[in-house]
Amino acid sequence: MNPIRRNRLIAVLFLLAGVGVTTALVLTALNENINLFYPPDAIVAGEAPVGARIRAGGMVKEGSVEHADDRLAVRFVISDLAGADVPVVYEGMLPDLFREGQGVLCTGRLGADGVFVAEEVLAKHDENYMPPELGAMHKKPA
Amino acid sequence: MASLKEWWHRLGSPRTFYAIAQRAGPWFTGLGVAAIVVALTWGLAFAPPDYQQGNSFRIMYLHVPTAILAQSVYMMLGAAGLVLLVWRMKLADMVIVAAAPFGMSMTALALVTGAIWGKPTWGAWWVWDARTTSMLVQLFLYFGLIALRQAIPREETAGRACAILAVVGTVNIPIIKYSVDWWLTLHQPSTFTLTAAPSMPPEMYLPLLVSVLGFYALFAGLVFARTSNVILDRERSTAWVRALVREQTS
Amino acid sequence: MSSVSLAATPSASMLLVGQVRRDLKIAMRSPGDLANPLMFYALAVALFPLGVGPSPERLAELAPGVLWVLALLATLLGLETLFRRDFEEGTLEQLALHAQPLFVGVLAKIGAHWLVTGLPLVLFAPIAALMLNLPMQALDTLMITLLLGTPILSVLGAVGAALTVSLRRSSLLLALIVLPLYVPVLILGAGAVAAVVDGVDSTAQVAWLAALCALALTLAPFGAAAGLRVGLD
Repeated sequence: MNPIRRNRLIAVLFLLAGVGVTTALVLTALNENINLFYPPDAIVAGEAPVGARIRAGGMVKEGSVEHADDRLAVRFVISDLAGADVPVVYEGMLPDLFREGQGVLCTGRLGADGVFVAEEVLAKHDENYMPPELGAMHKKPA
Repeated sequence: MASLKEWWHRLGSPRTFYAIAQRAGPWFTGLGVAAIVVALTWGLAFAPPDYQQGNSFRIMYLHVPTAILAQSVYMMLGAAGLVLLVWRMKLADMVIVAAAPFGMSMTALALVTGAIWGKPTWGAWWVWDARTTSMLVQLFLYFGLIALRQAIPREETAGRACAILAVVGTVNIPIIKYSVDWWLTLHQPSTFTLTAAPSMPPEMYLPLLVSVLGFYALFAGLVFARTSNVILDRERSTAWVRALVREQTS
Repeated sequence: MSSVSLAATPSASMLLVGQVRRDLKIAMRSPGDLANPLMFYALAVALFPLGVGPSPERLAELAPGVLWVLALLATLLGLETLFRRDFEEGTLEQLALHAQPLFVGVLAKIGAHWLVTGLPLVLFAPIAALMLNLPMQALDTLMITLLLGTPILSVLGAVGAALTVSLRRSSLLLALIVLPLYVPVLILGAGAVAAVVDGVDSTAQVAWLAALCALALTLAPFGAAAGLRVGLD
C-alpha cells in the first residue's frame, strides 16, 4: 500500500475508535443525573437523597413566609404550584429579590423529617422582563 | 461548482478583498454606529422600565450585544483558522489579526457591563455564576490567542499557530460552557433566541434587536477597515499596492 | 511515491513503544527534573494550611478544589520541556519525516510525559489528601478522577507546548494558552470529589471526565502534530 494512504488509514482508524469510545462514554454519562437539582415533586416523592448536599428550587408559596422575632431565622414553603410542597428553614440574610410567589433556589440538606435545611437561598431571576403595569397584571389572577 | 471555487479563491486574494472592503466597509461602519445610537437612545430613554428591576435592566441594551459579539467573534476566528489551515489562504490570517482585538474588547465590555448590572440586581459587582464565569474564560482565551500571535516573530508561523489555537479553542468553548453551566446555574437564561418567541414585550426587545444588529454591522465595518490596513502593510512590496500608493500621493 | 522501504521501517505500534521507552530512559537520566513537579505539588499542598489556618474542617472543605487546582499547575510545570529538547537537537524533525504518521510519535511522547508527571500525582494523592484532611470516603474518587483527568491535562498541554516549541522562553505564554482549556477538567474533577464529600453520588462527573479523556486523546494529538509542523517550518 502507498505510504501516504496507509498513514491516512491509520489516522482514520484511530479517529473512528476514539470517537466511538467517546460516544459510548457520553451515552453512559447522559444516563446519570449530574444536576443535584430537585424540584418539589421529586422531593415529596422521596427521590432526593436525605442528608446529602443538594439544591431544591420552586416558587415561594404565598403566605408561607414566617420570620423569627429575635433572629434571622425564617421558615417558608417552596411549591411547584401543582400540589407538591416542601417546608424550608433558613437562617441568614435573604436576597433582595426574595418574594412570595417568586422562584428561589435553595442549597442545603434534606432532613429525615422532610424539612429542607437551607444553607444558602438565591432568588431565581425572573426570566420574563416586563414593564411594571404588565407585571401587576401578571400577579393579580393568581 | 468550478465557478464557486473560482469565486472563493478570488475572494481570498488580498487585492480583491481590499477593493470590496474599501467599498463596503464605510457603509457597515456608518450603519452600525447609526443603529447603535438609535437603539441606545430608544432603550435607555424610551423603553418601559422592568417591573422588578426598574431602570437597571437598561444596561442590557449594551451588555447583551457585547456578550453575543464576544462569542460569535471567537467562532469566526475559529472558522477563519480552519480556512487558513485547509486552503492556506493568507487573507484568513489577516482577518484573524484584524478581528481578535475587537472580540477581546467586546468580552471585556460584556464583563464590565455585567458587573454594573450585577451591582443593583444581586448586590455585588461580581458573582461567580455560569455566564460571567464562561465570559471570563472567554477573555482568557482571547488573551492567549493575542499573546501567542505577538510572541512568534515570523508572520507565517505566527498565523498558522494562531489558527490552530483558534480552532482548538472553538472546539473547547461548548465544553467549557457546558461544564460551567453545570457548575452553577443561576442567571437569566439567554435573553432571547432566534428560534423561540422572545418573552419580553416588543417595546423592550426591539431596541435590543436593533442594538445587536448594529454591533454586528460595526464589527463588519471595523474588520473591513482593519483588514485593509493589514493588507496594505503586508503586501506593500507588491505592484498593485505600489501603484495604489503612487495614485493616492500624486 | 513507491512502497519500497516500508518493510524496513518500524510499524506504528513499534514506533509507539520505542518512543515511550526512549523518552522514559532520557527522563530517568535526570532524576532531579523528574521529581520537580511532584515536589512542587507536595510543597504547594503544604502551603495551604499555612495560608488558611490548620482547622481540619476548613481544610476538608477546601481540599477537593485545592488538590485539583494544584494538579493543573504541577502538570503545567513539566510541559515546556515536552518537545523542547527534541526540537533543539533535531530528533523532532526525524519524527516528522518518519514513515509513520506524526501523531503516533506525538502520542508516544505525551504518554511518556504522563508516566513521569501525571501518574506520580495520582500515586501521591493519598498523602496529599491526608495533609488536607480530605474525608477518606472521597479518596478513591480523587484518585480515579486524577487518573482520568491528568491524561487530558497532558494531551491538551501538548498542544500548547507544540505551538510554542520554537520560542525560547515560553512557560508564561504556555500557561496563558493552556489553563483556560483546563477549566472543564477542573470543574468535573473537583466537582466529583466535592460531591462524594457531600455524600452524593459522583458517577455522572466521573463518566463525563472519562468521555472528555477519550475525546481529548482522540483529537488533541492531531492538534499537537499540526502545531509541531508549524514550529518546524
